[in-house]
Amino acid sequence: MNRSVVGALVLKDWRLQRPSILFSSAVGALSLGMSYFKGEVPFVLGGVWFFVSIIVLGCMLPVANVVNERKKQNLAFVMSLPVSAMQYTTSKVISTFGMFLIPWLALLAAALMVILGGHVIPHSIIPTVFVLEGFVLMGFCLIAGAAIAGENEAWPMTATLVCNSSYGVGFYLFGRIPEIQHDWASPAAIWSPIIQRLLIIEVAVVLLIIGLTFFIQSRKRDFV
Amino acid sequence: MTDLAIDLQGVGKTYRYFALENIRLQVPAGTIMGLIGPNGAGKSTTIRILMGLIHQERGEVRVLGHRMPAEQVAAKWDIGFASEDMRLYDSLTLAWHMNFIASIYPKWDAAYAQLLLKRFGLHAEQKIKGLSHGQRVKAVLLLILARRPKLLVLDEPTTGLDPVARHEVLRELTDVMADEDRSILFSSHNTQDVEQISDRITFIDRGRIIDSMDKEAYMDRWRRLRLEIPAGIEVPALPGVIGIKRSGRLAVAIANEFAPDLANAYETSGARVHAVENMTLEEIFVANVEHSREEVNS
Repeated sequence: MNRSVVGALVLKDWRLQRPSILFSSAVGALSLGMSYFKGEVPFVLGGVWFFVSIIVLGCMLPVANVVNERKKQNLAFVMSLPVSAMQYTTSKVISTFGMFLIPWLALLAAALMVILGGHVIPHSIIPTVFVLEGFVLMGFCLIAGAAIAGENEAWPMTATLVCNSSYGVGFYLFGRIPEIQHDWASPAAIWSPIIQRLLIIEVAVVLLIIGLTFFIQSRKRDFV
Repeated sequence: MTDLAIDLQGVGKTYRYFALENIRLQVPAGTIMGLIGPNGAGKSTTIRILMGLIHQERGEVRVLGHRMPAEQVAAKWDIGFASEDMRLYDSLTLAWHMNFIASIYPKWDAAYAQLLLKRFGLHAEQKIKGLSHGQRVKAVLLLILARRPKLLVLDEPTTGLDPVARHEVLRELTDVMADEDRSILFSSHNTQDVEQISDRITFIDRGRIIDSMDKEAYMDRWRRLRLEIPAGIEVPALPGVIGIKRSGRLAVAIANEFAPDLANAYETSGARVHAVENMTLEEIFVANVEHSREEVNS
């Protein structure tokens, strides 16, 4: 593997997308700060903005980091460098997923600190936060995979549409599961079998999408 | 190093409305090859195939001795590629691009890059979005020249440039050839540019190579003969003449295999030869493409 060039491409992507990541991370952090205040309204608003900031980042990053590079005709410049199509794909997977995962993990950690550090939000919400963030991660992977492997803008746009319309439905259906509703009443976090199954499914879907992205890229005959 | 910088043998690729047919193209090391063709002739497809960006369906491609597309990474270390549709990152400065390329290529020549900055009148701290089209082309050239590649592959680099910028770019490309091992493949539909700097030329039209050879020898083969044909005289179809256009008693014959005997042959047949003229590369190109299309259609 041509590590130095792949590394240079990843750093280049990070440099280009730095403002978007910082902005969405700041919005996410502010939202968490808001949910730390007492009262139902700050808690709900903070929670909603927290997820919205991650969802927006998840939709924006693949478009800015992958689709725009193709649209603004930077791809020919990148592919003139000593990289193969698969190395380019590797660099895009590392940079796009990394750029999302770092604020995603930071916000997840911050959310846990807010929940565990304060007395406002019940600890029973922790497994829910994990499942819902995993759901957003799954959606991000689908959009990023479509942006990297898709031949044109229609792929990531369709993926974004599917994901954005399914987040609300997904969150609602999750909240309707009686076992989950029951566990919310508990003062402590409960990692029930259904929570575990959902988390395993989310990880499997994420890995499947990454694998499919590489597979589709390896089959391409025309790259630019 | 192999004697051929580029070697395409029997290369083909079929699209729905276009096909590249049996492309045979050889660029010896140390030469400037001009690839001339009208829009949609297959210049960019050929160049993308030899860069490994598009995979050929048929035939063999070797660039600097490397099989393409399989060994494109090894080949691209020594290739400087620029195309008309290549863009740098608008939001970043030229200096950032220079540092980026320098971080990848160990052979990056910082002193030469500074020299090119001055010669091209570029400012390293300027963002790409603030550059004119001509400055952007020069910025791309700076980035590929300062990495000291053995082979330059330039797909329509002078398209859209003003005459001064074109002159600067062409002069720089000619200077680059001071290194005898260096080779350039230069595609254009502007025959003036190709005529100015190339020492070999290849004509491509509708996905087929029409001709490929040494420029001077090639241009020497083409002549325009201005004839006067008296009424009642029929001139024979002579070998080496691809077409004759008549306008009353006057006629113009185009020869692609000119020999001094040709004028004598017309005189013998009863025609008067008023002039035997050299042709510009553009005139040869147009005549060649039209002749090739007539041959294909018939």
